[in-house]
Amino acid sequence: MSANSTFLLELHCEEIPARFLKPLTEDFETAFTAWASAQGLGAVALETFYSPRKLAWRAVGLPLAQLDQTDIQVGPPQRMCVDEAGQPTIQGLKFAEKWGLDFSAVRFEQPTGKKEPCAVVTVTKVGRPTTDLLMEALPGLIAGLHVPKAMRWGRSDFEFVRPIRNLLCLLGETVIPITVDGVTATNTTWGHRLHHREHPAPILIATPGVYEAKLEAAGVVVSLDLRRSRIATQLQDQAAEAGGRLVADAELLDTLAEIVEFPKIVRGEFPASFLELPKEVLVTSLREHQKSFCIERLDGTELLPFFLTAANRTDDPAGYVKAGNEWVLKARLYDARFFFAEDRKQPLSARLEKLQALTFQRELGSYYDKTGRVVALTKTLASRLSKDDEHIDRALEAARMAKCDLRTLMVGEFPELQGIMGGEYLRHEGAHEEVWQAVKEHYRPVGAEDAIPGTSLGCLLSLCDKLDTVAGCFAVGLIPSGSKDPLALRRAGQGVVRILWEQGWPFTPADLIEAALRIVGPKATKPAAESTEALLAFFKDRVAYQLEQAGYAPSVRRSALAAGWLDLADLRARCEALSAFAEDARFTSLAQSAKRIGNILKDELASGELVRGLLTQAEEILLADKLVEVEAKTEQGALLAALADLAQPLEAFFNSVMVKCEDAPLRAARLSLLFRLRQAFLRVADFSLWQ
Amino acid sequence: MHIQELILRLQRFWADRGCLIGQPYDLEKGAGTMNPLTFFGALGDKPWNVAYVEPSRRPADGRYGENPFRVYKHLQFQVILKPSPAAVQDLYIESLEALGIDFSKHDLRFEEDNWESPSLGAWGVGWQVVLDGMEISQFTYFQQVGGQDCRPVSAELTYGIERICMFLGGYDNIFDLIHGEVKTDEGVFPVTYGQMRQREEFELSAYSFEHADLDLHRSLFESFEKEGWRLLKDHGHFLSAYEQALKMSHTFHVLDARGAVSTTERPGIIKRVRDLACGCAKAYLEHETEHVAASAKGGAQ
Repeated sequence: MSANSTFLLELHCEEIPARFLKPLTEDFETAFTAWASAQGLGAVALETFYSPRKLAWRAVGLPLAQLDQTDIQVGPPQRMCVDEAGQPTIQGLKFAEKWGLDFSAVRFEQPTGKKEPCAVVTVTKVGRPTTDLLMEALPGLIAGLHVPKAMRWGRSDFEFVRPIRNLLCLLGETVIPITVDGVTATNTTWGHRLHHREHPAPILIATPGVYEAKLEAAGVVVSLDLRRSRIATQLQDQAAEAGGRLVADAELLDTLAEIVEFPKIVRGEFPASFLELPKEVLVTSLREHQKSFCIERLDGTELLPFFLTAANRTDDPAGYVKAGNEWVLKARLYDARFFFAEDRKQPLSARLEKLQALTFQRELGSYYDKTGRVVALTKTLASRLSKDDEHIDRALEAARMAKCDLRTLMVGEFPELQGIMGGEYLRHEGAHEEVWQAVKEHYRPVGAEDAIPGTSLGCLLSLCDKLDTVAGCFAVGLIPSGSKDPLALRRAGQGVVRILWEQGWPFTPADLIEAALRIVGPKATKPAAESTEALLAFFKDRVAYQLEQAGYAPSVRRSALAAGWLDLADLRARCEALSAFAEDARFTSLAQSAKRIGNILKDELASGELVRGLLTQAEEILLADKLVEVEAKTEQGALLAALADLAQPLEAFFNSVMVKCEDAPLRAARLSLLFRLRQAFLRVADFSLWQ
Repeated sequence: MHIQELILRLQRFWADRGCLIGQPYDLEKGAGTMNPLTFFGALGDKPWNVAYVEPSRRPADGRYGENPFRVYKHLQFQVILKPSPAAVQDLYIESLEALGIDFSKHDLRFEEDNWESPSLGAWGVGWQVVLDGMEISQFTYFQQVGGQDCRPVSAELTYGIERICMFLGGYDNIFDLIHGEVKTDEGVFPVTYGQMRQREEFELSAYSFEHADLDLHRSLFESFEKEGWRLLKDHGHFLSAYEQALKMSHTFHVLDARGAVSTTERPGIIKRVRDLACGCAKAYLEHETEHVAASAKGGAQ
């Protein structure tokens, strides 16, 4: 008999919502491995499987039993256990009896810490069989899974994600007949629902190793990765066959893999007349309503009148699946066309007044109020970026129109098209390209992966909108903390920083905070000083994150940030210069000298007034000369180059000059020299934070 | 398949599986769930299987009879199975087979769709059932109705009758569906859904989007509410009070279709309907408990 075997558990349920599959599988994996290790079964690696109706786990090499455990038990002293004749005393016999042993098993040794030999026995605790342990533990592990939206069914009080209809539980060939909510485990399960309309018998899984193959034969590909890769291949092939390429969507690919048990990609067509709808509308409508992919021309310009979706079966023998999906899609697109036509019966601007009835946030008022603030903010900032009145007017027009599409039918149906529809409707009305582009893109970047708006006006509008959201919420006390950020203020704040960073605009976060809070003004419930302080801390974190995203090394980020962060263009230049310079051979020496300067100045009062005439040694005079050069540099690269040239002189200085000398005026002059040097360093970075 | 044939087959199927065949409730409502056969039937401990057709009104969905896919009023076929049977999904699939759907050629999926009716204080979890990419049914395990936990849990199956008919027949326009045939001495006359309903769609859409008197509806809403609470509080009458809740709900939907309810007002109005509905559910359960206690006492004598 081998000492270990393979464990397999499958919960076969009614269709589990796709979004819960992975978390539930992982939750059990964590709980099971923790349990196995606590039971002395060692480090178990679980393979996980899931499909709409199945959650399954397999562990290869699970020991068949716990290891036996031996313990040494110490009893009374030898003299009390054995009498003078060498016979066991009552006390000696009782000791042996206590551990279930014969007196002959008792030996006499002097354990550490004892002054004399004592009775000692070795007790062996026999490890329990794994089957017993699993029998006891599995029902609790299953019932203990964290289900975010649990349900009851029938008359039972048991709660789970969906009704459990079958259990498969094996250790090797042995069934572990656990019972959960009245269902007892066997070595059989069920394949694809449609498979069993023709083959009524359950599927026998004689050993854990045959699990996937048996299920595939019964119409279920139980590995998510396999389903996903098969879908991906079919999607590519089908798109190519249609003469185009797939409009990629990783999230949709995951979704399709999670909602079918046997993936078959079906290609359908829709009437080409629907191509007059904006591309985004088609892509969104197909994705949201039909979980379908679009195919675009190879040059990426327009869509082709095809779609791809996954069927939950192996084939489409009568073409019903294709025809059905085409039929539904036509109905959906008909609706989209209806919305597109209805929405354009009046100009977008007609919705401005209607924004009054749409609450943005209780204290901050309606979207109409928000629009007013964004317009005011845009006005303040646009006039600082441009002196062109027409350009400024266009910025204001875009700000006024930005939120109007929230009252259109199309955005009501597809909230994710906000901004995009506003832009499209303005374009159809003949608005200036800068205006409609800005409105269309003003929600970007929607995440770390997304780009900022492609136009300068779009960036300005996006920045003002997000800034107002962040500053407004802070002003009424809605400040994100820990994992709580229901209004996604961090993402909005990150967008502001991204735009400033990439555009290189001459606004500091402090400027922006001041302007935004002034405009929020009367709506604020918190004192402006308090909000300003909280916002500065908030934006500093966002800037730190931006540096991380930009790929700078931790030392570069820390030391550059500590030397000032409000001027983003300057910060960026410093980070660039530092990153380049970190490779320089002189760098380590310079950083060390800078740290040393910091240490010396820590407990000293130094003046910035350097009395150069007091310096005596050649090394310090040379350093003072170099300092003059360094201080004259204005550009970050040149400044760093000049600082780099200080590496050698600094080393020489520290090797030969005693800073804290007895001569008080000389000592003050030397400290002043170091103080000025540190000021020069701090224009780039705080090297004391370099590691 | 004709609409009436589809209804007859579903009724036959579910009657054969041990359901009472109920009738639509004669008040305006948005869904079959609002019928007392479901609302009260899903409460309490007693087994309860019922199936019925329910005409369902959605004032905001009206399209003046011009949209081939969307209507103000459609037909739902509603099934309640309490407690939910272990093989409920198989039963449902068999009902589709009874409609002539051959699963060796079709694609069937159960996709998560959790149902909630804030105005009934009801929610459940379940799926939309998707056949070849089209949603044909709503499948729900009721967890709460009228603010009360459902013990045992009922399964609710709701079939969209027109949709299934259109889909099975490949129709591109709901108004082209054939309801049934009139056979007379003068010949056989197929009657379309359009002949029966298109004018009604036009007038009801015009009513809910243009002609409904807003002041009247606002005042009706208040009156129904007052009436409902009077019936419930003064007389302990949960059935007649529940009718008032249904009327409040419909009145609200008419106002909503006219755009007369602001987003901020909305939750408050829905809560007023829910409060009355929940009051009715509570009174019903109390009544049932007393009734059971009383008959137990009667039996002992």
